[in-house]
Amino acid sequence: MAGLNDNAQWIVLMGFLVSFSLFFIAIILNQSVMVGQTTAEAVSEFPKYDIRGIRSVIIESSTAGMPDSLNVQNDIHVLSLNRQNSVVNFSTTTNGGYTYIQIHYNNGVTAYNETWRSP
Amino acid sequence: MVNTRGQLYTIEGVAAALIILASAYVVVNATSIYTPGDTHISDMQLEVLGSDALVMMNTAPNSTAESPLQTIVEKSDGITFGQMYNNIVNNRTETGQDSIQFMANVSYVKSDEKTVNSTTLLNMTRALVGGEHAVHVSQWVLAKNRYPDSDSLRNRTVLVEVFLWRD
Repeated sequence: MAGLNDNAQWIVLMGFLVSFSLFFIAIILNQSVMVGQTTAEAVSEFPKYDIRGIRSVIIESSTAGMPDSLNVQNDIHVLSLNRQNSVVNFSTTTNGGYTYIQIHYNNGVTAYNETWRSP
Repeated sequence: MVNTRGQLYTIEGVAAALIILASAYVVVNATSIYTPGDTHISDMQLEVLGSDALVMMNTAPNSTAESPLQTIVEKSDGITFGQMYNNIVNNRTETGQDSIQFMANVSYVKSDEKTVNSTTLLNMTRALVGGEHAVHVSQWVLAKNRYPDSDSLRNRTVLVEVFLWRD
């Protein structure tokens, strides 16, 4: 074309520019699909309610001075392994008038560890 | 047409108009792209609703009283559970009820201290037949009396599990 004449060079240039812009917009649209997917999966796979639940029941069972506490705590181990696919381990120590509870939670994707101290 | 000059300019004008229209279309639609991830949003909403309802029911009115859910589990009172849970999850500020269905089970460790029984039905609004897209929520309950009555007599931790779905 350059050999034929010098006309319409701006038009050809703009054509290139617009086609490249459309190409990049298409890539961005394509990426947004993956972003939504991974973000939502990360949010819904995080076991927020399981951790909250296990934490509150462990603290409640360890501090209420409830009878049969060994059996109750065995229930927590067995039930979380069977029904929530998570390994839960915890132990209670007393030091300086405070009760400390070490809580360990792991479901293969998310691990949560906490040392709780009685108020 | 008076003469044949300026045809390329006309074509360029038409092309530019098309591009402007296409860009406007893409921009307007960008706010409402329905990605595959968005299908999880309704699940998350149901999960939050179901969990919060269970937490509400497992909250004691004062430090010495038992929570409603604790009493329900200790007495195996599925009728009260059904009424209470149904009221909480299906309540709306508008007139009329929502249409969330649920099926609730209680899981507990059997007297051999190893295996879990999870078939004890608490209540349901409709049987779960498999076509539903249900979410699963659960709540730990310290049952200060024995549960169930026929099993070994001691305090227990049980897990109230609820499947929720929308019709």
